[in-house]
Amino acid sequence: MATTTDTVRLTIDGIPISVPKGTLVIEAARRVGVMIPHFCYHPKLKPDANCRMCLVEVEKMPKLQTSCSTVATEGMSVRTATTVVHDAHKSVLEFILANHPLDCPVCDQGGKCDLQDFSHQYTATGSRFAETKRIFQKEYFSPLIETQMNRCVQCLRCVRYCDEVMDVKALAPVGRGTMTEIKSFGAHPLDCEFCGGCVQICPVGAITSRLSMYEYRPWMLKRADTVCTFCGDGCQITVQTKDQQLIEVNSAQGAGRNNGDLCARGFFGFHATSHPSRITTPLIRRNGALVEATWEEALLFVAEQTKRLKLAHGPQTFGGLISGRCTNEELYLFQKFMRLTIGTNNLDSSARYGHLNGVQAMKRVQGTHRWTVTFEDITQADVLLLVGTNITETNPITGLKVKEAVKKHHATLLTIEALQPAIGTISNITNLSQHHLCVAPTQFGSAVLGLLKAVVEGNHVEGTLQQRASDYVASSSKAVQQLSWDDLTLRTGIARESFVQMAASVAGGRRVVVLPGQTLLRSQGAYGICLNLLDLLLLTGKLTETGCGFAPLAEENNDQGAIEMGAVAELLPGALDLTDQDARAQMTRAWKEEIPSMAGASLIEMIDGAHAGTIKGLFIIGENPVGSLPPQTHVKEALDKLELLVCQELFLTETALLAHVVLPAASAMEKAGTFTNTEGHVQSVRPAIDPVGDSRPDWEILSAFSVFLSAPLEYGDAKELLKEIRTVIPGYGSLGPTPIPPTVDRAAVDRYTAGGYRQDLATRYTLPARTRRPDGTVQLGLVQSLFHSGKLSTHSKGLVQIEPSGFLQMNPVDAARFALGTGNRVRLSNSRGEFTTTVKVLDRVPEGLAWLPDHFAQDALRLFDCVIDPDTKVPSYRTASVSVVKAT
Amino acid sequence: MPKHELILLKNMMQPGYTGSLQDYERAGGYQALRKVVGKVPPADVTTTVMKSGLRGRGGAGFPTGVKWGFLPKDYQGPRYLCCNADESEPGTFKDRQLIERDPHQLLEGILLACYAIGAESAYIYIRGEFVLGARILESAIAEARAAGYAGENILGTGITANVWVHRGAGAYICGEETALLESLEGKRGLPRVKPPFPATHGLYNKPTVVNNVETLANLPHIISRGPEWFSAIGSPPKSTGTRIFCVSGHVKRPGNYEVPMGVTFRELIYEEAGGMRSDKPLKAFIPGGASAPFLTPDHLDVKLDFESVAAAGSMLGSGGVTVMEEGTDMVWAALRLMEFFYHESCGKCSPCREGSSWLVQTMRRIVAKRGRMEDLETLVDLCKNIAGRTVCAFGDAEISPIMSTLKHWRPEYVLLIHEAEAANLIHLKRTMAQP
Amino acid sequence: MLKEKYGAEIAEILSHYPVKRSALIPLLYLAQQDEGYVSEAAMKEIAQMLRLTPPQVYETATFYTMLNLKRVGKFHLQICKSLMCALVGSDTVIGWVKTKLGIGPGETTADGLFTLSTVECLAACGTAPMMQINEDYYERLTEETFDRILADLKKDGTCSLKTGPFMWPEAPRAQ
Ligand SMILES: Cc1cc2nc3c(=O)[nH]c(=O)nc-3n(C[C@H](O)[C@H](O)[C@H](O)COP(=O)(O)O)c2cc1C
Ligand code: SF4
Ligand code: FES
Repeated sequence: MATTTDTVRLTIDGIPISVPKGTLVIEAARRVGVMIPHFCYHPKLKPDANCRMCLVEVEKMPKLQTSCSTVATEGMSVRTATTVVHDAHKSVLEFILANHPLDCPVCDQGGKCDLQDFSHQYTATGSRFAETKRIFQKEYFSPLIETQMNRCVQCLRCVRYCDEVMDVKALAPVGRGTMTEIKSFGAHPLDCEFCGGCVQICPVGAITSRLSMYEYRPWMLKRADTVCTFCGDGCQITVQTKDQQLIEVNSAQGAGRNNGDLCARGFFGFHATSHPSRITTPLIRRNGALVEATWEEALLFVAEQTKRLKLAHGPQTFGGLISGRCTNEELYLFQKFMRLTIGTNNLDSSARYGHLNGVQAMKRVQGTHRWTVTFEDITQADVLLLVGTNITETNPITGLKVKEAVKKHHATLLTIEALQPAIGTISNITNLSQHHLCVAPTQFGSAVLGLLKAVVEGNHVEGTLQQRASDYVASSSKAVQQLSWDDLTLRTGIARESFVQMAASVAGGRRVVVLPGQTLLRSQGAYGICLNLLDLLLLTGKLTETGCGFAPLAEENNDQGAIEMGAVAELLPGALDLTDQDARAQMTRAWKEEIPSMAGASLIEMIDGAHAGTIKGLFIIGENPVGSLPPQTHVKEALDKLELLVCQELFLTETALLAHVVLPAASAMEKAGTFTNTEGHVQSVRPAIDPVGDSRPDWEILSAFSVFLSAPLEYGDAKELLKEIRTVIPGYGSLGPTPIPPTVDRAAVDRYTAGGYRQDLATRYTLPARTRRPDGTVQLGLVQSLFHSGKLSTHSKGLVQIEPSGFLQMNPVDAARFALGTGNRVRLSNSRGEFTTTVKVLDRVPEGLAWLPDHFAQDALRLFDCVIDPDTKVPSYRTASVSVVKAT
Repeated sequence: MPKHELILLKNMMQPGYTGSLQDYERAGGYQALRKVVGKVPPADVTTTVMKSGLRGRGGAGFPTGVKWGFLPKDYQGPRYLCCNADESEPGTFKDRQLIERDPHQLLEGILLACYAIGAESAYIYIRGEFVLGARILESAIAEARAAGYAGENILGTGITANVWVHRGAGAYICGEETALLESLEGKRGLPRVKPPFPATHGLYNKPTVVNNVETLANLPHIISRGPEWFSAIGSPPKSTGTRIFCVSGHVKRPGNYEVPMGVTFRELIYEEAGGMRSDKPLKAFIPGGASAPFLTPDHLDVKLDFESVAAAGSMLGSGGVTVMEEGTDMVWAALRLMEFFYHESCGKCSPCREGSSWLVQTMRRIVAKRGRMEDLETLVDLCKNIAGRTVCAFGDAEISPIMSTLKHWRPEYVLLIHEAEAANLIHLKRTMAQP
Repeated sequence: MLKEKYGAEIAEILSHYPVKRSALIPLLYLAQQDEGYVSEAAMKEIAQMLRLTPPQVYETATFYTMLNLKRVGKFHLQICKSLMCALVGSDTVIGWVKTKLGIGPGETTADGLFTLSTVECLAACGTAPMMQINEDYYERLTEETFDRILADLKKDGTCSLKTGPFMWPEAPRAQ
């Protein structure tokens, strides 16, 4: 009867209830439907009991107690509905209202304000307060956030959120007593992550969003619950609209995988798709220029050209590329269109840029293409190993789970990333790390091998594995033992002792989750490193334990979906191998048509094909290879040679500008479907507004192509597509609020340990070449910024206000070495070209490295070379050695 | 010569006593420490203090030994002692004297407490304004370290007891023990919600004892002379020992007087402090600092011990006795204290934060003869709505001046309001008389 | 930069505490002692030393009345106006400041020498009226002593009338 000791029974207004030990009275009351008024309490925050609003009577206690800070105990009897309690609530409210300006008519919170609601409930009559109300001097707070401190009820929810949840600590309660005012530093405008958390958590109108100031009253808004498209975390957002205009985005406490938390992109980035430069009509190239056309004309043009090329050169001269921002339904239809209507496996998606490395490694070692853990496992982990992820910037909400694990549940955080612990205006996960290895991206492989070596040498290899898979253990042990500590230290700059300690932490953990992120997944050799990280879990006996797992972080919102829908050359829906005969047979049965058997070309192979003239027609949906790939891949020249380039796009990207036909696509705000987030959770996407102009959802466009190509793939709506997906992948779709992760396939593990590991063990257990950095150079890296996501977000007026342009981020020591300071112009060059930009000096950048945000790095791409992974065909072009010279 | 035997002020009353280590040792100092450290089990020291009946001199009067007993017995990590030298309760100025004149007496007390509770670090949280006091303590600590009484290996026993001085920076609330801990952690001095109590989750979340200067200064004497000796002084069993009463206001000889608990206010005011300064009759007195409700001449024969003062409707508090003569404006006096509380409210709890500003504004209006009769009802209501509804005892304290003056001198409020109304009436008549 | 100027003091302060943030108020005092007030640059530097964000330093600094975030005069007269002092004439002392120096609470003389603040109880109620000037207490003020204090401060920068070590009533004199 373990449960009885873990729960307590109490009564709330006579209603008996049993709750887990440690439950607060206010929570227990909520469970029986008793809502106790409150301001400072918030389930995410530690009780502060400052507003005193939630007072209740507790039997045997002489004074009223704050239910937000009182823990329910066995036999407790709580009364919330007595006259004493009611009078107490009324009186506290009277105090809180005393200094509050009654400016509800001009307050954006009006209609959704806790103070307004409680006042309505308790003090319908006027106030006895006849003195002068306090007035705060108005100060400019920030470009996106407005403060009206006269309205503040000093519950400190904003300050506490910023500290406890975000770990940013940008808000300060300044002064004392009634004159306490929430500010940033001095009279300076707010400088922070702009997560919008303070706006969302403020119970009154003291902190509001400037993006929607004075634009609405809450009851005028129409809401749609959907999923954010800016990263792989898959946050639930509520999009509020008025007359087809996007007014604001928020997220309800407790809702979605994000539990109501958002980042700057989610909260302030929503205008991206309503940018005036959206394409709203089909365009056809005539006499070299793209001119407006009707849908009919455009579709006909594409169909005719496709038919002509197919007839002349066969289906293998076609290729297709789709963005991982599309819905599952679209990704599914895209690959079906390419495979059936066109008849080729030449197709790829943005998952190719890195996510595939992680998924293929999982498939090979543990037989799943999804995480075997969930966000909940991250918060409950006792050891977290983050490799190559500046998680708070790339996957901010998964980052919050990590912060919660560390800050609330005291998990041990281990990090390997090219990042220095430093307090800045953006949270830095390495600040919370118990053990951080600051390693250049080119040496992540060495760091992981160092860790493996320390595991082996520290006798942390799990006992039964030694017996079950002695060869595997012996081979891998031997391989790491051949590495010398001197070499490891030379490459990583990390002393052996650090590896030893980290290995002991991993081995000692009960619930160990490894999170590899984009810096790793997009780096050269990433597939092998992922395999080695899986080896780490396997060798320490964690891989198959509950709560343990390997969790690669997806970059695009639906990269995971792209893989699961089979929108990559080598995989069929369900992420089954194209070469798997059973899978092919099953697909053929479902589609009632043969799938082309010839292996498909992946992204770079298609580009190369176009260059060589073997690919003549390309369908590109929401992807911009010209803008994303370094010119060294000759992508522009290649696309120039195509006979047919069709782009479905929101904006006229560098790629779309080369197209023969550009079709206006509807954004995720304008369509229905599903997204699969990084943890494999499928969630519904719902339209908030109608498609802008003549734009159509991508699946509708594909479906229309198929009709014009006389091989109709017709569906009434996205739901019908999902229904078909379910017949191919049983059970696919949204299944409740939390994912049910797959378990490790033990047969797959056995195959791997029995010999599957052998094929490449020698190569991946070899240290990467030493990176030598000549004097006067730095290692330039492309990184993601918290305030942007691909190029889409650069169309968001909110985000552009926070970060309008890119800059070279450098360590102070390097900056001094090159006589550079924040704001200086700098010229970067190497044998491939040169690039000039502005410098920003930041403590968090490690010495010898310099970062350039991806989203503004277009012209810098020429400095990078591209290396293709031999196994996963992932192109890697994230680091380059460049000379640095101050530009005048 | 004082009529009562002095304990805490004894050394410093010796002509020529400088408070140096030498002087203190010559007067028998550090014998208590020598007696117990490494010789008597720490738990026995706690028992001794418990037996003595010593109660906290900081305000709340909690039994010191009992407080120490709340520390978790089997906890392995660090524990802390904090000496509360914040002394900011208006009317109180005894700790300052204990610190500046006999720092080693306090230090010995601190070291004894450290030994008893197993604390290797003690912080003396001294109010920021006591710059001189902080310097005197610093040099006393240096002397004590050099002599082996404090530091890494006290009296060669291998026991560590480091004492540090930490200056506050101007905030009355930091005298409240949990606000003190927050402040010592470098944060805003906002009281913490209790439970958990400092005994289990104190400084840096570690088991911690907070004791007042005077409380700690008693320890060497209790250890040297035994709990029985101590518990026989004053009015046993509940109020043992002496207390230093800080007499201020309209008396002939204001100052610090150490008397056994249980003497009457009459004796303290008329004998020790020499009676009223200009031979006007006494009108009111505050028995225990600004937080204690005012008392009247009817209470002069109340005994100065915890229970008697409580029974009289006030509290012994910090020992600050402020005397007011006939002719003092009680509404004005209450306002002065209210202004203090308004200035010092930390702002954490809405009733205290908003209530103090509301009360102060209303009182100012009344004193400025712009009051209204219904203000009196509002004042009482507001006070009642603050009491018992805040995180710390500040809320209960801030209403004392208004509630008690309204209770005893309500006619003075009424008079001010009548004058206000009369003025209004005259004003009204004048305006009406105009053509 | 505080660190360069007071390296040893800072190290000593930090050594007193197991948690860095505890050194915040001591370091703010150091900054105030250095510049006469706590500047923004100092707060930023302290934040960095203690691994805090500048807002964290700021929120703490603004809670405590003894930390000046703005410049004050060379001599900061802090006159206690709490009840105990008021009973025996602190308002009169404030009046002297007005007539003799021409400043009211919160004001600074034109020559930048004196700033007047009224403060709450400074624990010298038995020796009221009183004031603190910078670090020193002056108690049992009379108009005569008050004049002398001002004159001495102007002339010598210090005054022998400052009080302490405190004891009241005083001990009998040694023979
Ligand atoms: C608002 C407030 C202010 C206080 N100020 C002081 C003070 O200045 N000095 C002090 O010793 N205790 C003060 N206390 C009492 C302390 O909280 C605490 O009870 C005391 O330091 C414990 O020591 P003791 O048990 O030795 O008395 C104050 C309490 C409150 C509620
Ligand atoms: S601004 Fe809002 S959230 Fe912050 S303390 Fe004030 S009322 Fe609370
Ligand atoms: S909600 Fe409990 S005190 Fe604010």
